[in-house]
Amino acid sequence: MKKGLLLLALTTLTLVSCGGGNSTEQEKDASGNTIVKIMFHVNKTTAEGKAYQKRIEAFNNAYKEEKIKAVPRFEARTSDNKFEQTLINMKVEGTLPDIITFDAPNCASYAYAEILSDISGQISQDERNDFLSLNEYNGKVYGLPIQESSAGFYYNKNLFARAGVDVSGYTVDNPWTFDQFKAVCQQLKNSGITPVDMRITATGDETATYLLYSFIHAAGGDFVSKDGFTATGHFNSAETKSGFSYLASLISSGYTSYAIGPTDFFNGTVGMYLSSGWTIDEFRDYTTNFPDRNSWGLLPYPQGTAKASATGSWSYGVTDNGVADKSATYKLLKWMSSAESTTVVTNATGMIPSRKSCNPTYEVGSAEWVLLEQLSKTGKERPATVCYPKFSQCFGRIIDSLSKSNLSEIIDGQTNELQKLLNERK
Amino acid sequence: MLVSALIIFAVFLLIFGLVVFFDVRKAKKHNQKYHFGRAVTAFLLLLPATLFAFFFVLLPILYSLGYGFTDYYLTKPNATEFVGFDNFKAAFEEIAEGGDLAKAIKNTAIFVVVVVPLQIGLALLLALFCNNKNRGTVIFKVCFFAPVTVSLAVTAYLWKEILTGSETGLMNQFLALFGIPAQDFLRNDDTAMLWIVVASAWQGCGFQMLIFLSALTGIRKELYEAARMDGCNAFQRFLRVTLPGLKPTLVYIVITVFIGACRIMVQPYLMINVYADRNITISYYMYEQVFTSYRVGYSSAVAFLMTIFIGTITLIQRKFLGEKKR
Repeated sequence: MKKGLLLLALTTLTLVSCGGGNSTEQEKDASGNTIVKIMFHVNKTTAEGKAYQKRIEAFNNAYKEEKIKAVPRFEARTSDNKFEQTLINMKVEGTLPDIITFDAPNCASYAYAEILSDISGQISQDERNDFLSLNEYNGKVYGLPIQESSAGFYYNKNLFARAGVDVSGYTVDNPWTFDQFKAVCQQLKNSGITPVDMRITATGDETATYLLYSFIHAAGGDFVSKDGFTATGHFNSAETKSGFSYLASLISSGYTSYAIGPTDFFNGTVGMYLSSGWTIDEFRDYTTNFPDRNSWGLLPYPQGTAKASATGSWSYGVTDNGVADKSATYKLLKWMSSAESTTVVTNATGMIPSRKSCNPTYEVGSAEWVLLEQLSKTGKERPATVCYPKFSQCFGRIIDSLSKSNLSEIIDGQTNELQKLLNERK
Repeated sequence: MLVSALIIFAVFLLIFGLVVFFDVRKAKKHNQKYHFGRAVTAFLLLLPATLFAFFFVLLPILYSLGYGFTDYYLTKPNATEFVGFDNFKAAFEEIAEGGDLAKAIKNTAIFVVVVVPLQIGLALLLALFCNNKNRGTVIFKVCFFAPVTVSLAVTAYLWKEILTGSETGLMNQFLALFGIPAQDFLRNDDTAMLWIVVASAWQGCGFQMLIFLSALTGIRKELYEAARMDGCNAFQRFLRVTLPGLKPTLVYIVITVFIGACRIMVQPYLMINVYADRNITISYYMYEQVFTSYRVGYSSAVAFLMTIFIGTITLIQRKFLGEKKR
């Protein structure tokens, strides 16, 4: 009996003491190289993944003498937010890499959750001025953007010509109004064309939030207070509700629907497609309906009581992983966020460089030029709140409910849900 | 962690000691000799299974209960503080206000009430259909069991494609043959959960069919012959011979399908691409509370309440469906 008890006690002690504490030393390999781990949100076989890989290899060559070696990990972000969950799991397990890429609106949430660490001291004033924007929370810098983005309405020029729609006068400086947007949709509808894919089914991840939040700003609404802790009176204000109602009216008028398939626009059955810069490359796969760049165009976001367009993309952040000496990590951060790396990556992604010094030159009137113009003139960031994942979920639920008659109640309900959580975080 | 695990382990040993103590008393009461050596042997033989149950069943439940009394924030475990019954209170308030937890309970209840009889009934029908020695039967058995071997994620995507709201969806193309306009099956608040039931029952019933088949082979042929001689028709034979013969298996299947149904999450999560009123289940709710709101403490409280609920219902089921003591 005593032996049995002793065995039981020893087993318990062994099992419960298996977990290790966080190391405070930067990892070194057998050759004495200081290992800096970096995790990217894309598959390494994509053009973007290859660009990161190229810059990592260049870093390893440049820092061979200093014995610093960057080790990349590619964790492709899928539609079910697996990348974000992997990050959270790594934080809980104490296995966070030294640097991560993260979707910029999550900055406040990750900083609050102690996933990201403050890198304010690593950014010189010149660098601050060079970035189009920085990822800040509570006045401190937590992330350096890799690239910037904007979105707009890609349109099928053949279908527009068939419906007799002329949109040549709508530019970033002279955008169409909400009413003019509807008038174009009606013209397309009259010609038997499904007017627009507003991406209202893309609620499984951040896509719908990213593409549609600026409609609310354009309607004069907003989401949270400046300090990010009050949603009541913002997320459910009359202006915000009118923005959601406008989106709902596009469904009730038959201009868009939840039944539009993800490739219907590319297959030539839908007139317009709301998307970001990454879609420019996608046209290459649909040469039947879009044989060249003259077969499609890009229109800016329509304006309501204000002008607003989607912004934000992915950033680099240094993690709060318990490593005390982050000098090697900061060297890799500087390298990856340099103008040279930014150019390599944005050349691969077709997105807007995050640094002014990259000085991108786009043909006037091209889709890229429209996106850059729009970003600088009407770009409006998503709300900065420590509960951003919850906000995005609430926004997605409202978008999913646009066709319901009690939309106003649903908006109030989601505001209440978000506010409850914000109250806990105050 | 270490200290709390040791305390829990000490409590566990105390319970074991109490069991031995009461056994000794019982033996004395019935004037029987208590063999302490046999008790130790039994204890050692049970040790591996007991340790497994302790570390992987009891300990998580106790931790869940413990966390339920804290404000444990997923990424800041070191800042955890004791909050008393706040999380349990918040859960009941959420239910009273008709919040997401109330919706999750409603959806889970609908799922359980429909899927348990449907899946078990379907499994029984398939088992009866396959319970013969005809040559082709094995092909049906393989076909009926095949969905069990496919991953839940794959079948969820498969059903999502079948039921998609666009005109190119398989079901809508089928309906179009009869002139019925395209339906958005998984967007409808009233029917979404029922389609999830259909997908789940389709995937799960093959496994229960196998268990029923094995139980059917255990029913003696003589009983059927005797029933036939007594003039029983096929339905009466099923009612008087087959069903009583399957009762122990049926109890097991009802309990396991019920517990599995209460934990439903993968199909609602993957078939409907948004966390919405129509697809929140209790497990999905808890998952979202942890991974979107980082509320481990609150989620643990809900998990503990769910464990209590499932345990209670399972005990009631055993009482009403279980074998009568002879």
